[in-house]
Formats: sequence, structure tokens, C-alpha cells
Amino acid sequence: MATRVKDVQTNVEDLVTAREARAPSRQPLAVPIDQPVTFPLELPESEARLRTPAVGQRATRPDGRLHGLGQTQYIDDITFPHMLHAKILRSEYAHARIVSIDTSEAEKMPGVIATLTGAEVPENSFGPTYQDQPILAYPIARHRGDGVAAVAATTEQFALDALEKIRVEYEPLPAVFDPLEALEDDSPKVHGGDTNIYTSKVIKKGDVEAGLAASDHVFERRFSTQMVEHVPLEPHATIASWDGNGRVSIWSSLGRITLGREDLARTLQMPQSRIRLIGTVVGGNFGGKNEITNEPIVALLSRKSRRPVKAIYSRGDEFVSSTIRHPFIMDYTTGVDNEGRILARKIRLVLDGGAYCSWTGTTIGKGSILAPGPYNIDNVLVEAYAVYTNKTTTGAMRGFGAPQVCFAYESQMDDMADALGIDPLEIRLRNGFSENSLSPTGQSLQSVALKESLTQAADRFRWKEWQA
Amino acid sequence: MLVELTVNGESRSANVPPETTLLKMLREYLGLTGAKLGCDVGDCGTCTVIVDGVSVNSCLMLAGRADGCDVTTIEGLATADELHPLQQKFEEHGALQCGFCGPGMLISAKNLLDTNPEPSVFEVRDALAGNLCRCTGYTKIIEAVIEAGEMMNQEQATV
Amino acid sequence: MKKRGRGMACMWYPIGFTVAANPSAATVKVNTDGTATLLTGTVETGQGALTVLAQIAAETLGLATDDVHVVSGDTDVTPMDTGAIASRTTYVTGNAIVRAAEKARDILFEAAAPLLNVKPEQLEVRDRRIQVLGFPARSVAIDKVVHHSETVLGNPAIGSASYNPPTVDMDPETGQGKPFNTYVYATQIADVEVDDETGEVEILKIVAVHDCGTPINPMLVEGQIQGGISMGVGFALQEEILFEEGRQINPNLTNYIMPTSLDMPDIEVGLVDNYDPTGPFGAKGAGEPTAVPTAACIMNAIYDAVGVRITALPATAERVLTAINEKRAAEQADAA
Repeated sequence: MATRVKDVQTNVEDLVTAREARAPSRQPLAVPIDQPVTFPLELPESEARLRTPAVGQRATRPDGRLHGLGQTQYIDDITFPHMLHAKILRSEYAHARIVSIDTSEAEKMPGVIATLTGAEVPENSFGPTYQDQPILAYPIARHRGDGVAAVAATTEQFALDALEKIRVEYEPLPAVFDPLEALEDDSPKVHGGDTNIYTSKVIKKGDVEAGLAASDHVFERRFSTQMVEHVPLEPHATIASWDGNGRVSIWSSLGRITLGREDLARTLQMPQSRIRLIGTVVGGNFGGKNEITNEPIVALLSRKSRRPVKAIYSRGDEFVSSTIRHPFIMDYTTGVDNEGRILARKIRLVLDGGAYCSWTGTTIGKGSILAPGPYNIDNVLVEAYAVYTNKTTTGAMRGFGAPQVCFAYESQMDDMADALGIDPLEIRLRNGFSENSLSPTGQSLQSVALKESLTQAADRFRWKEWQA
Repeated sequence: MLVELTVNGESRSANVPPETTLLKMLREYLGLTGAKLGCDVGDCGTCTVIVDGVSVNSCLMLAGRADGCDVTTIEGLATADELHPLQQKFEEHGALQCGFCGPGMLISAKNLLDTNPEPSVFEVRDALAGNLCRCTGYTKIIEAVIEAGEMMNQEQATV
Repeated sequence: MKKRGRGMACMWYPIGFTVAANPSAATVKVNTDGTATLLTGTVETGQGALTVLAQIAAETLGLATDDVHVVSGDTDVTPMDTGAIASRTTYVTGNAIVRAAEKARDILFEAAAPLLNVKPEQLEVRDRRIQVLGFPARSVAIDKVVHHSETVLGNPAIGSASYNPPTVDMDPETGQGKPFNTYVYATQIADVEVDDETGEVEILKIVAVHDCGTPINPMLVEGQIQGGISMGVGFALQEEILFEEGRQINPNLTNYIMPTSLDMPDIEVGLVDNYDPTGPFGAKGAGEPTAVPTAACIMNAIYDAVGVRITALPATAERVLTAINEKRAAEQADAA
């Protein structure tokens, strides 16, 4: 028996056949669930949950127990009677004008109940900083992850089949993919106008040129980082359902429901009091589920079809259409004296913003403020620019630019330590923030524990032994 | 087609279209939503179940190919009275965060301990390599599996 | 040949939004049996936030974690919250909960004071009892007080409050301002092995010492750090979305390589003893910063091992080997 299972696992043809099967018998058959699942109901609680004081306890998680039992209901585990499944067609071009969208053939496909295009969205724009992103692209698609039409059908497969019947006529437009090229005057402009720079930030403290001139050594280097996906194990998921009072209930994997409801009220053009947004247990966020994505689409398909509608992103959707981490191009010039004290740091950051702003405003802000590193530096200049490109939208991801700039400033710290013959620990302790240090924005810092973290980490690692 | 399985020790059957995967049958026909769909191509391991003693990605296996097989899902680990040692240790260690990988991860761990009651840390890492987790860095998961193994061995010894 | 190297990186990271208001509100209701219900508009995205928030409510009311039930994430039911973003939940939502729970507690102090023959400001909560400050022998069980307050005095113990971190806007020309109310700090040190014939990097160990103010739940803080490091390892060595003319060519987990259990090093976690008086019971936050210094310390360890400075992430074997070969070529050219 065991060998049989292994054979099955490696037989990819079965899978392909399954996916490509076009049998008409695909309606799920209702089968009574004969045996209920048995779960323990009365388990003792862990000691740590029962102790006072509560703060400082290694208290276990009641939701964690349900995760381990397989009892947690994520959105894909929730179903409603007569529920439909929605799928989204994505742009064939990185930059194109949509001349026309014809959904008539798709609507004739088996199981299809409703379709939706951008022209039908009451307010077809959203975004946490600038509302520059369409719910469904129309009339311009600015990257290949842009949705252009959606279908709700009785099964996921029927919805996928129907997507293939949607006819979209595109007029391709010149596209730009490299952020440095996007900065140039003659580059294609992603959102029209005369520049692709859509947000910038300056942090200026002291006189950076004078500081560099006074330095014994000046170090210069360019660092760059890549596009990274959040990979929540649970892809974005939504269910929407309307009731007879004209209220819509939306179950969403969104991590911020208060602002999400505002966004929904705006895009659907309806009062917030008629929208119930339920943040279910989320299967991983990391910043990627901090803005609405398919919620308005699913809500509108539910209204059109008068049925509950569920949409679960495929893993591919998750990559191409949800946000990802900003690539940074970082030019660092740092002046130090012979003892390794930093006198001046000049930094230029270029953020690849992708097709839409999303959380770039926060990323460029945090990235710029943090870019000089946790060091006492009298002369600082940070100039940062975010540029549009015809690529996947970059947004919030764990650290908002901080991992990128930390890679640069800490690499350069070791470059300097190496060149000056100073222990990497020592150069950090010599320059690092302590209580009441002034940040690059002039803020007096409190509860600073930088040096404590350095010395404790070095002790635990036995750093000094390794350096000897 | 009629597919008859033993799931978590009980006979279950459903009439499914021939292209139905085992994962879809479990979730949509048998109401066992513990195993998850994370990638649909066997990369992430959230759909892991045990079929006749072998842990498989149920998103890659047709339900028909599991006909007559013995299937264990996450819903089959606990009893009405107590958690499986793995579930208990995962809870004590806070080994699951968002939890979406949990059912697959626990099933892979169970299959490991069923076949290798005293695994080394490397053997645990190796056994779980097909189950992606984005939250935990696997550290507490590995600790929990090792401790669960020890706990099960002690229980065995005292029986 | 495999070469060992060690590298460190430290970092700072802010809690909450950059200047912009990012309030949280909370409601705490103490039940007549001395248990409590907390309403919060934040969403559990896996961090264990709801457990941490329950601990904060419990602490304020002198209860145990298990005494507090948390209701979250429903706009029909829960008060507003800016959400699970910017490492703000413990600090911002936590501060709102402390204030809400204090209001509920004050109602109980009002009810308990005449029972104990003291003034309300002479009372404190501890171990599910309300007791007199400096004279713990005189106390009353909290459930009796809640029941008395609600059913005799007609004053249920409910409190609602909000919190928003105070910031100062940044000058548009110079960026000078106070964009955040507090920051956390951390250091990570990596021990790596680099194969100088293949460019392959194996991370043997990472020591991570983080400041999160008071760790409300040390187990969950450790989990954040270990998970953040795994994301940092992927950022450092493996993960990259690749494009061809604006089309992603690896939008799947077959070709987009994220860390598995085999890729993760041993991790030793340390927490700095720190207390931020502006946070709930001294706490700040732990979510995002855990992923910040990992790539940097790994790159410094690679430099220590084989003397090449990786300037573009990720440091794939191919990229590391190219850098090693360039360094060798340059050294040979110098020698010649």
C-alpha cells in the first residue's frame, strides 16, 4: 500500500489531467457528513495562564490550541449556502491602455452568475497614502498584476474557465522597469505627468559637506536590495454577503479593519454603518495584508449575484498582485576620524515603488529616518526618492525599509572597522546611541538599550574569544 | 465516482468527480477543513495528511487514488479527552503563530515520530523540510517535536 | 574549502506610525464573577497579540491571563484600532487597554472603598483581590466587589479609552521633528561557513539580543525573534522575485526559495532588561525589528569568512562565488 501512495505522489500527469478535465459533472455533490469530528472540550489550562501577576508570564495561546487541533476557521474554511467563487483576470501587459473589455462570452459559460470590470466600481481607486491604485484597472493597466475583470461562478473551476472567455483589447504603452531609468527625464511615465518620482524625503542635520571635509577617512559604497514577497501561508481571502437591509458583511484577511471599512465605504460609495468588516484569524500578514485588495471586487460581485461570494488568491495571485518589499538602491558616503568616530554621513536612497504608492510613504519615511543607523552623528544628509515602475506594487513589509538600510549602514560599519583596524564591536560602542542621544531628526531618545544589546550579544556569542 | 476511505479510523465515503483531489474531498465533501490549501502544487505542505503510513501532499493526490486507503488528518490526532503529545507540546512552546502551517506540520511530525520515536534535531529538520512556515523560524516547532517524542517514549515505557 | 566567519549588526526601530495619528481604542468589562471581557479592534495575525493584550488587561485588573476573554476584529462589535501594523499593537493598543481597564478598576475602587473603610485612592488590585495599599490584610475578593457594584449600586465595571502616541511633525526641508514616541534596539551576531569553491553560505548560529522594553510574554517575544530571523535569512541568502520585461518569472514556491527547517541555524535569544515608562507596564514592541539586522550580520560574517563585501542582496551562492573569483583575480593582478 505504501508504495502505491508514493507512485501517486510522483505522478504529475494525474494532476494535469485533473486540472484540465472539462467534465460537466463538476457540481459538488452534497454528501451528508456522517460522523462529527471529535475534539477535546475540557482541557486543563497551562499554569502560566492561571498565575498572577499576568505580565511576564509565558502564557500559552487559546488560539494556538485551536490551530494545533485544526479547529481554527480561516476564511477558506468558511462556507455559506449558495456561495459563489470569484477569480480575477490580470493584465497581459505591464503598461497598456484598455480599449475595451467584452465579458459577454464569459457570462454564457456554465456556472457563471456575474462579472465585473473597473468601470462598474463606484469609486475605482484606493491606497493608504495616495489613492492612485484601481480596484480593477480601467482604462490604464500599470503592471501585470493589475486585475482587469472578475468573474463569480458556482465553482472555482467554472470561474477560471470563464476568465479565458473574457476579451480584452489592449493598446500597449511604453513601460519602465528599472528605478534608475525611471528617474530619467525621457523615461515612460507610469502615471503620466513629467516625473515618476512620487514621494521624497530629506533629513538634514548639521553640515554634511563640512563634516566629510573634516574627516580623516571617507568611505563610499553603493548597496542594493531585491524584491521580496511576504509569503503568508494563507493567501489573501475574502467572503462578502449582502442582506435584505442593504448591509454587506465582509470576512477578510485584512489586518486593519477600521481603516479597511473606511476604504470600502469610499470605494463602494456607501455608509460605513452598512458595512460589517470582520477580521478573521489571519494566516500570516507581515505587512502584506494591510490594505484592501479584492474586498470591493468580492462585495460588488456579491451584490450583482445576490449571493455570498468567496475569493481566495492563488499562490500566483499572491506573488503578482499583492504588495511586496521595496528594492532600495543606497549610496552611502561616511566620514570618520582616525578613532572611527563618525563625523558625517551622506545617503541617497532610491526606492523602486512599483506601479502604485501603497505604503511607500511610510517606507520612505522610516527608511530615511533610520538610514544613518543608531549612531551619534552630528552631520547627516539623507535624500530619498520613490519612483514608479511598471512592476509589482511595493508596500508594507516587516520593517518598512529598515532591513534594507540596516544592510547598508552595518556593512559600511564593518568596512570602516576593517580599514581602521578597530574591532566591529568597539566601533559600534564608540558611536552608538545612549540615553538622551539626539536622533537624525533631532529627537532626544529615551529608554535606549543599544549598547546593552551589543554587549549582551557579544557575551553570549563569546565575541571577544573569536576576535582574539 | 464513489471513493471510500478510512479517515481517522472511521469509514467515510463520498461521490466525487474523478478530478477531485484528496484535499478537496477531505475539505469539501467530508467537512474536514484542517488540512489547508496553501499553494496547490505541493510546495508548501499545508495540505499534508498521512495515507497508509506515508505523509503526502493531499493537493497532489487524486481522491480516487486514495480509495480504500487509511487516511489520518489533523482532526484525528486528539481524542475526546486529551491532546496528542505533539499538540500539547506545540501549545506549551507557542510553536504555532498564525497556525496555517500547523495541521500539515503536526501531521509530518506525527509521521516522523511514528516511524522514528527518537529523532535527532537534524532528523526533525529533515522531516519537516516540506512544510513551510513563515512565522516561527521553525525553532519552537523543532523543540516541541523533540519533547513530544520524549513524552511519547516515556508514556510507552510506563505502559 | 569551507571558511568560518562571524559578523554582527545592530539596529534601531520605531514603534507606531511616522508622525501620523495611529490611535487604538479599547473597552474592558469586568464580569460579576471577576472574569473580564476585552474588546479590541485589532486583528490577530499570528503574533499572539490577543494573548499579550489579555495579559495587559489582566495585569491592570489584578487578574490572571486566563480570566480575560478577548473579542477582536469585528467593526460591528469592537472599537476602532489602527490595526496590526508598524509593531504598534503591544504599545499603542496595550496603552489603550491599560487606560480602559483602569477606568473599570476605578469603578471597583469606588465600590470597594466603603466596604473596606478607606478611600478609593488607598486601594490596589492583586491576585484577584482589591486590597488596601500598605495593609494587604484588609482586602475583598474582586468578584464580590463587581457583583456589589453592578447589582447593588447599579454601577457596572466597564471602561473605554483610547491612546495615540504623541509625535511632532517633521520639517519638510530638514526632516527635523519627533516622528515616534519610542524606539527599540537590537544586536544580532551570525556564525557562518562559506564554501569558497561553490559560494554556498551555511549559517551555523545566530545570537539575537533584543530590547522590547518589558517582555509582556517572553515566549511570544522569542517566537517573534526566531521568526523575524527566518525572514532575514531569506532576505539575506535566498529570496528574490525575478522579472523579465515586467513579468514575474518565479511567482511560485518552487522557484521562489524561502527558508525551510533545514535552512535555519540554531538561534540563541537574549532580551535586554529595559523598561519604557511610556509603554504598558514598560513594554514597547517586538514584531518587525526582529527581521531588521539579520541580513546585515550575515553579510558581515561572509566578509569575515572570505573577505568579500556583498553589496547586492540576496547573497546567493552564485553571487558570493562571483565576488570571491573577482577578489582572487584582483589579488593575482596585484601580484603580477
